[in-house]
Amino acid sequence: MTSLAPLPTAPVASVSPTGRRVSAGGSGPRRRTWTAYAFLAPFLVLFLTFVIGPAVFGLWISVTDWSPYKSEQSFIGLQNYVDLVTPGSVFFGDFWQSLGATGIFTLASVPFLLIIPLGVALLLNQRIAGGTAFRAIFFAPYVLGVAVIGVIWKYMLDTQSGMLNHLLGLIGLPTDIPWTVDVPWAWVSLVGVTVWWTLGFNAVILLAGLKGINTDLYEAASLDGAGAIRKFWSVTLPGLRPVMLFVSTTTILASANMFGQSYILTKGGPANQTRTAIMYISDQGLSQNNMAAAAAMSYVLFAFLAIISVINFRLQRDKP
Amino acid sequence: MKEGFARRAIAVTLAVGMGVALAGCGSGAASSGGGAVSGADYTGPDVTISFWNGWTGGAAPVLVPKLVEKFNAEHPNIVVKNVPMEWGDISKKMPLAIKAGKGPDVAVAHGDDVATYAAQGLLLEADAIIDDLGYTADDFPEGLMDAGAYSGSQYGIPWSVTPLGLYVNNDVLKSAGIDPAVVPTDKDGYMAALETLKAAGIQGEWVDGYVFTGTFEFQSLLWQFGGDLYNDDVTKATFNSEAGVQALTHMTDLVDQGYSPANVAQDGNIKGLLSGQTAYNWNGVWQTTNEAFDALDWTAAAVPQIGTEKAVWSSSTHWMFMNNKGQDANKTSAAATFVKWMNENSSGWAETGELPAANDVRNDPALVEAYPNLATFIDELPYAHYETSAPGIAAANALITTALNEALTGKKTPTAALDDAAKQADAILAQNEAKYGD
Repeated sequence: MTSLAPLPTAPVASVSPTGRRVSAGGSGPRRRTWTAYAFLAPFLVLFLTFVIGPAVFGLWISVTDWSPYKSEQSFIGLQNYVDLVTPGSVFFGDFWQSLGATGIFTLASVPFLLIIPLGVALLLNQRIAGGTAFRAIFFAPYVLGVAVIGVIWKYMLDTQSGMLNHLLGLIGLPTDIPWTVDVPWAWVSLVGVTVWWTLGFNAVILLAGLKGINTDLYEAASLDGAGAIRKFWSVTLPGLRPVMLFVSTTTILASANMFGQSYILTKGGPANQTRTAIMYISDQGLSQNNMAAAAAMSYVLFAFLAIISVINFRLQRDKP
Repeated sequence: MKEGFARRAIAVTLAVGMGVALAGCGSGAASSGGGAVSGADYTGPDVTISFWNGWTGGAAPVLVPKLVEKFNAEHPNIVVKNVPMEWGDISKKMPLAIKAGKGPDVAVAHGDDVATYAAQGLLLEADAIIDDLGYTADDFPEGLMDAGAYSGSQYGIPWSVTPLGLYVNNDVLKSAGIDPAVVPTDKDGYMAALETLKAAGIQGEWVDGYVFTGTFEFQSLLWQFGGDLYNDDVTKATFNSEAGVQALTHMTDLVDQGYSPANVAQDGNIKGLLSGQTAYNWNGVWQTTNEAFDALDWTAAAVPQIGTEKAVWSSSTHWMFMNNKGQDANKTSAAATFVKWMNENSSGWAETGELPAANDVRNDPALVEAYPNLATFIDELPYAHYETSAPGIAAANALITTALNEALTGKKTPTAALDDAAKQADAILAQNEAKYGD
């Protein structure tokens, strides 16, 4: 939903065509509007059918005692939501633990998923030999599915026979680190694997943003005596603001929706400590058929993410 | 990955296609289904029946189409459509498909799913069909029929059983000076072997706290110490009994006393066995088809008796007749003919690393001759325990794994971990009762 942030397209040239279109008048605009709607319609149909429709249906389910085993469902108001905040209910402990796990993962992964790709993008933005090749290399893991990277890393991170512990042994470090079996190592693995997997995507977007910054600004800053660091803080970062807003928003949402990495690498363990909210909700809704409760949980998660996204937008908005 | 996806896509397409076809021709029939089945072959008008199963891996994707083709050739009035898809997809699709009258006519499920389907009204009571086909409980290993029963009625006809066994890497034993021909059968023998291995610097059994090896070893031990998972009417978890604590303590002791490394990851132990790092692994009969064993000097034996009685965990799969909206009785009769024929021709099923459930097929000497590795697993069946038959039981069972994981990673003592899990399992059993009702 919140991925409607402005994409990093060059905003400079768009002023005059817009002005001309508005002043054209006559019957043109209306027809153009319908053309636009006609082209939007296929997407709109899919969007309504597969996003808005299920979302509204989910909201309805969350206020009923919906069960696939009964022919009629009755309205029970906010009971499902009340259960989620009532200590001692079947869902209370597990749900909030899973939200906590999601919170830990988001807090631990988002800074790395912003800073490392930014560094990579700055390096790739230099005129270096083989820049395109490096860009492809950094992006490569992102094209793999989570099942693939999960299985690969599961082998490498195995406590006894994993390659990582073996390599650590070669340089004299402990060889029995439980990378996928115990905390805090499981978190280190999950964050590390996620950063390795998705940093290429953020790096490419940030690189596009860097290329969009007017070089005149750097020149002007140099004339004013700014060094490399000052130029980074005063030209690069402000220039990246709209791109950063997009990247940080999508990264927070993606991290908060983490599922596959835990599901494959740690099985949610030790115990349920790395079981994320999405993992718990899908288990409750799809495996245990507690659809109504799972729908309520989804909306609670949605509310949290909406609030975080709004705060993120506010913080990064251009100040007037 | 791609292959799996393609297969699933095809399966889904087939399922949808079948659904449309069934909806087209089945809407008129108002029969409640299940009647007029006889042990003789189906003689009614030509029918096409749909058969859902989760056999997407191993030898099954080759074997099942061949069996179905043979059946179709021998039965000119029945066409069976084989619809394989992931087990998880089946349980997600079944309720809606059946209620819309677009589900399969016959399907296979694991023992812990049959009651869940039955409680949802997705299955036809099969008592009459079983009588007509001439099956009795004596045709299958003891206790197996009950694994497909729920609330006083029989819903499943056994198809296969998959007990746990002890896999042994003989080369590792030899390197520690142990004669592989002497397989430990009791606690003393087993612990002595582990001690000898430890002296040789080998951790003999790697204990994990995950589904498959750890969970099923725990359940085997629980029964060996005289305990059980749940009480008789499955309203209360009993795996935290004295027997349960003994079972889990045995496992944590293996780690604490250095017979097992700590923090074994899921499947880390079978990998360790295959790479010659450990000697013993408690694993399912399905591993006999693992090609990685080909390069190994290995044997499979019965699990040693650690507790006070012989017992071993086993899963099972069962045939089910589906209660589609407007189910055509002719199709159910044809499905019954198919089930009987499949069970009679199930000797080849051993190829998949599962034991055919039908006694006369499994006990035919030709079977062990063709698959000698299965002999010890077959010998275990008289004392095998099957999965609890109660709706939604998988959700409660999952807590056993959580408890194991907590105890083996040192988060809780065995007693505390099992008590906490049992408490939550009780809440889930109560929730299940409300959810599935009677």
